[in-house]
Amino acid sequence: MTKLWDFHGGVHPIQNKDQSNQLPINTMPLPKQLILPLSQHIGNQAKAIVAPGEYVLKGQLIASAQGFISANIHAPSSGFIDAIEERTLPHQSALTGECIVINTDGKDQWTKLHPVSNPETVSKQDLLHIIQAAGVTGMGGAGFPSVVKLQSKAKIDTLVINGAECEPYITSDDRLMREYAEQIIAGISIAQLLLDQPRCLIGIEDNKPEAIIALNEALSSHTNDKASIEVCVIPTKYPSGGEKQLLEILTGLQVPHGGIPADIGIVCQNVGTVKAIYDAVVLGQPLITRITTVTGKAAKNAGNYEVLIGTQTGDLLDFAQVDMSKTSRLVMGGPMMGFTIQDTQTPLIKSSNCLLAAEDLELAPIADHHSCIRCGLCEVACPAQLLPQQLFWFAKAEEFEKAQDHNLSDCIECGACAWVCPSQIPLVQYYRFAKGRLKDLASEAHIAELSRVRFENREQRLIDEKLAKEEKRKNRATAAAAAQAAKRAANPSEQDPIAAALARVNAKKQEQEQEPKKQVDSAPKTHEQIYKELKTAAAITRTKLNKTNKALANAVAKDHELAQGLQTTVDELTIKAADAQGKLQAYEAKLGLDPEKEKALLTDVAKANALVRKLEKALATSLDPQGVETQLVIARVSQKTSANALAKHQTNLPSTLLPEQEQ
Amino acid sequence: MGLINLSSPHHHSLSQTSRLMALVLLATLPGLAAQSYFYGYGTLINLVWASFLALGFEALILYLRGRPIMPYLTDGSALVTAFLLALALPPFSPWWLTLVAVSFSIIFAKHLYGGLGSNPFNPAMVGYALCLISFPVAMTQWAGTEMTMTFGQQWQWFWLESVTGGIDAYTSATALDIMRHTKGLTLSEVASSNPQLALGLTASMWVNIAYLLGGLVLLGFKVFTWHAPVAMLASLGFCAGLFHMGEPDLYPSASQHLLTGATMLSAFFIVTDPVSGATSRKGKLVFGIGVGILVFIIRSYGSYPDAFAFAILLMNLSAPLIDTYTKPKAYGHQSKAPRSQGRP
Ligand code: SF4
Ligand code: SF4
Repeated sequence: MTKLWDFHGGVHPIQNKDQSNQLPINTMPLPKQLILPLSQHIGNQAKAIVAPGEYVLKGQLIASAQGFISANIHAPSSGFIDAIEERTLPHQSALTGECIVINTDGKDQWTKLHPVSNPETVSKQDLLHIIQAAGVTGMGGAGFPSVVKLQSKAKIDTLVINGAECEPYITSDDRLMREYAEQIIAGISIAQLLLDQPRCLIGIEDNKPEAIIALNEALSSHTNDKASIEVCVIPTKYPSGGEKQLLEILTGLQVPHGGIPADIGIVCQNVGTVKAIYDAVVLGQPLITRITTVTGKAAKNAGNYEVLIGTQTGDLLDFAQVDMSKTSRLVMGGPMMGFTIQDTQTPLIKSSNCLLAAEDLELAPIADHHSCIRCGLCEVACPAQLLPQQLFWFAKAEEFEKAQDHNLSDCIECGACAWVCPSQIPLVQYYRFAKGRLKDLASEAHIAELSRVRFENREQRLIDEKLAKEEKRKNRATAAAAAQAAKRAANPSEQDPIAAALARVNAKKQEQEQEPKKQVDSAPKTHEQIYKELKTAAAITRTKLNKTNKALANAVAKDHELAQGLQTTVDELTIKAADAQGKLQAYEAKLGLDPEKEKALLTDVAKANALVRKLEKALATSLDPQGVETQLVIARVSQKTSANALAKHQTNLPSTLLPEQEQ
Repeated sequence: MGLINLSSPHHHSLSQTSRLMALVLLATLPGLAAQSYFYGYGTLINLVWASFLALGFEALILYLRGRPIMPYLTDGSALVTAFLLALALPPFSPWWLTLVAVSFSIIFAKHLYGGLGSNPFNPAMVGYALCLISFPVAMTQWAGTEMTMTFGQQWQWFWLESVTGGIDAYTSATALDIMRHTKGLTLSEVASSNPQLALGLTASMWVNIAYLLGGLVLLGFKVFTWHAPVAMLASLGFCAGLFHMGEPDLYPSASQHLLTGATMLSAFFIVTDPVSGATSRKGKLVFGIGVGILVFIIRSYGSYPDAFAFAILLMNLSAPLIDTYTKPKAYGHQSKAPRSQGRP
């Protein structure tokens, strides 16, 4: 029995697991339509490689990973691609994102699969490739592409398998462990193979005795003399299933701030993920199904369902006979960290482990919150060893730097603090808000930094150019002097032909040396220079025009004789100004510059910022922060999009303005 | 059916500020009983009067500040302030003394600083200290233990500050006072020449034990952590023990310090006030130690009957500083990663 450690804080919410863990996993019938977001994972969004109208087979690749941290997406059933369009994503903010919509044809016809019955005979590289191709991502939490963790460069001595499932209500991992214990162990063996046979610790909370027995039974018939696998029964305490907390319980080590578990020689995978690894390698099946718990008192048939990725929540809720008139709070995920969804078309994705359709009295009442009395209960509960009350204070006062000083970024948003808070302050909401603002500030700083660098580069270039010019002038002067001397030496005397010849040669040499420099001088002007000159020209003619216009007005008023002459000048200048302006605009168009657009973007950003600030103020004082938060989330999204658009626009500038020879 | 949008967590322990406060109020009952038993009805009358005033002032101020009245009034914090004041003030406090203390606590010490949660000083202690400075005579009129007033007498005294037979028959200096104003005698000489001391000490001891009991209950219910009270009692006991060992004739013993005056009341009901105390557990330890040392110093060398109000207010003042230096290390900041060098 491995020694166990404890982590700081934690809470003991009511488990409510037996609402859903009594019955075996039930397979949901094929839905009519599947919606597959292109981004179901952390990292780059996958790229659709099918087109609307195309027929796809079950298991066929329909969107391919982009870059190292990204994941493939496969068709969960056969049918026609209906559309590739924006749909609501399963996310706190209810954002929309690009999704592939498949109308299933009911045949559920597989594409050709390539199972590997004995993984040990396959090279590591091939195994990694299979897992990567199958689109396996973390199925417990954030959805991190698994293959990235499995090819860790650091030496890994412990593989931690997360079967803690500490969130109340959720039982999908529980049932999975009970029913697929052997597959899980086989998946673990593959992971061990890839990580050079580290020991493996499976962490399970002691409230899942059946799962523990099942895994131990599967282990008894498992043989691997190279690496051990051990089931570790840990005390039930939320959030023991948090990756960092579980590592601490099992190894006594903490992941250093800003680091990853591999830094301390650990890789952590969820039980669902190792099962998916097994499916990918041994069955050759890509990740297209998962087990999802449907629970809550509004669900008549609460239980666990094997669903196709992309199934709409509404379809699953119907199948589980959820009485939607009884619930007003539909939570995706558990009651501690899950998020509410409003659109029942929202699809289930690779990491959707639970749908909680709770009756209104089942969950925390929507209460007005009181002032923080600094009772410190939150601090006692915080598994990240933070001072939640201080963070709250700083977030509320918008002192984001101070919040950062108090390690806001280490907050895992587990909600333990808000759970205990007697004043019922929605603390996590404040932390999310502060984190969002910090991110915005950072990106603002990033943009500022970019423009600073751009500015400095330009300054440097101007200085360099000036220096080069100066040098050129000097060189020309010396060359001229030398030539003159040579002439003088050659012409009047004729007594010393050798000296004269020498001088000529010298002069020529110098001239030749001059040559390359001249070339630099006569190099085509940079875009930026041209642009600037055009701008100045336009500005100068404009000013001249204005001045003459004024003079003309004066002259006319005084009925001066000059008026006539001035009138002609004005006419000429008007044409010139229009011409200069036209040239400038034409050049801007050529460079892809668009000052109007930039102005519009700037206004957008300013507007969005103002709105967000206003809402944030409202949020801090409002006794009904939830309503305000919704608006705030929307406002913040538009703020971010506009900031991004502006940044994109601005960062596009320098590349087009870079002098050609530097490129 | 409309689905709503809410931020996680969707679950709650259902603990409430008002319940915490109610628990605190209940936990004062043993102390209240002991105090009434030994010193008569004064404390009880005071308590009712103070509660009435506190709720009244709280409602008034909330109204003036344009805040919702009921949610804040029912959080119980005003009542806690009232209870603490009533228990700390002498049993012979006349109505106006309590009025001054309560009004000052609620209006100035609490609401002018922004209300519950924002007050840097413990409101009850501010009110108490104000009275101590302004009305030293009234504040030192402590009830004697040999003869207690009837309810009628107490009632009369409360409103009219007169009582048949004169108040002097019923008052006595507190044990602490007697021990400090020894007039050149050693403590043992004082004890033998002044029978009141022994009586006063016994009464005081029982009252303190009662508060200790209440405090332990709160600790059991995890209303606060042990850090501040234990640190305070330990440091007070340590200082007292040290000096007593050096000069037993001048300095009362540790147990006498721990079981007289408002020691236990302060340790479990005032030092533990989270709003005006230090934040982290380490901070609470420092805070408690500070209070203990200050109490010992003021009791030994100051000229006030008890030292708590000042000791606590002084430490309230230093709480932000303590917080700055006792920020706990967050997860992952503890130590250097044992193998971070191995990172590619
Ligand atoms: S639990 Fe709530 S009331 Fe208590 S200190 Fe934390 S935030 Fe404040
Ligand atoms: S949500 Fe953040 S601050 Fe609150 S308990 Fe969890 S980690 Fe700590």
